[in-house]
Amino acid sequence: MSALSIASNIKINEQLLSNPESQIVTNVVHWTDTLFSFRLSRDNNFRFRSGEFVMIGLPDETGKPLLRAYSIASPNWDEELEFYSIKVPDGPLTSRLQKIVPGDRVIVKSKSVGTLVTDALLPGENLWMIATGTGVAPFASLIRDPDVYERFNKIILVHTCRKNAQLVYGSRIVDNARTDPLVGDMVQDKLIYYPTTTAEPSLKQGRPTTLIESGEIFLDLNLSPWNAAIDRVMICGSLAMNKDVVALCEQQGLSEGSNNTPGEFVVEKAFVD
Amino acid sequence: MTFVVTENCIACKYTDCVSACPVDCFYEGENMLVIDPDGCIDCGVCEPECPASAILADTHEDAEPWISFNSKYAKLWPVITTIREPLPTADAQDGIPGKLHTVFSEQPATQEA
Repeated sequence: MSALSIASNIKINEQLLSNPESQIVTNVVHWTDTLFSFRLSRDNNFRFRSGEFVMIGLPDETGKPLLRAYSIASPNWDEELEFYSIKVPDGPLTSRLQKIVPGDRVIVKSKSVGTLVTDALLPGENLWMIATGTGVAPFASLIRDPDVYERFNKIILVHTCRKNAQLVYGSRIVDNARTDPLVGDMVQDKLIYYPTTTAEPSLKQGRPTTLIESGEIFLDLNLSPWNAAIDRVMICGSLAMNKDVVALCEQQGLSEGSNNTPGEFVVEKAFVD
Repeated sequence: MTFVVTENCIACKYTDCVSACPVDCFYEGENMLVIDPDGCIDCGVCEPECPASAILADTHEDAEPWISFNSKYAKLWPVITTIREPLPTADAQDGIPGKLHTVFSEQPATQEA
């Protein structure tokens, strides 16, 4: 780290010491040159439902908070909060957020919200989670929540990235969930992990929309095509993917749910990749 | 792009949207809410929560006249951060056309809470 960026971190931390909404960075992992995850301390009073997002950020040059919506990637029983982010070289927030190190401070607002929650879905048999890129973050939270396994018999996590290295964070979360003392047994019995790539050879290649439309994914998993009576779908990824999968859901007779009116699918609109 | 509150909120004011907003950018008039376009982060969570379907993306064809309207009243009305009881007229007024010209009040909400 350069002397300049250390000086900048010190300045930010000084500004945040007096901010009651700031939390301490406990761990940072750089997965690729464009992806990193980080863990923050968690306020004792901070409650959230798995799948929700919260506003986090850093002060800008003038000291004003620069905040963005981030899905919480850790389960709601975790003592800390985890986030998974891209690094945008010119991004107002991520260009600086990617430089945080343990001991630094980050602003975490106290209100978490979102539609990727089990409360917005009607009861069903299968819960499909369709993610691209860092859109896997809310599902990293949900697949470690015992409530999800109590509500559904099968949970299918479909995660698509351009390259294999971009799938590593998600696959680690799944591996760790399988041996987790709290949810490990449920994960072993009920979670199906289906990673795919689009720009590099891998065990399974193809966009989620293509694999769903062709029926290939259903053949691979020995499951029936989506049916509003038993299938529920959560969608989080690029705008184009969200739009296409929403259309596929609607073609199959699934309707969009909200916290007020649960339905058969939900889509994260705050996600921008 | 942001989201805007449109005519069907008038005389209903269910306020479910308020609990869904991560940035507390709803502002409260006597019988309607608006969104501050400068605060809205375009997350879209409020849109499906409105029982009156009064919240639209500003790219929606019916949203256009409401963009400057939301901007104007967000500066004049107080912020609302917690859900409240809907107006007593809410269910009866949900879906009635022309409420902007018949029942809309420019007055800010009274600050009882």
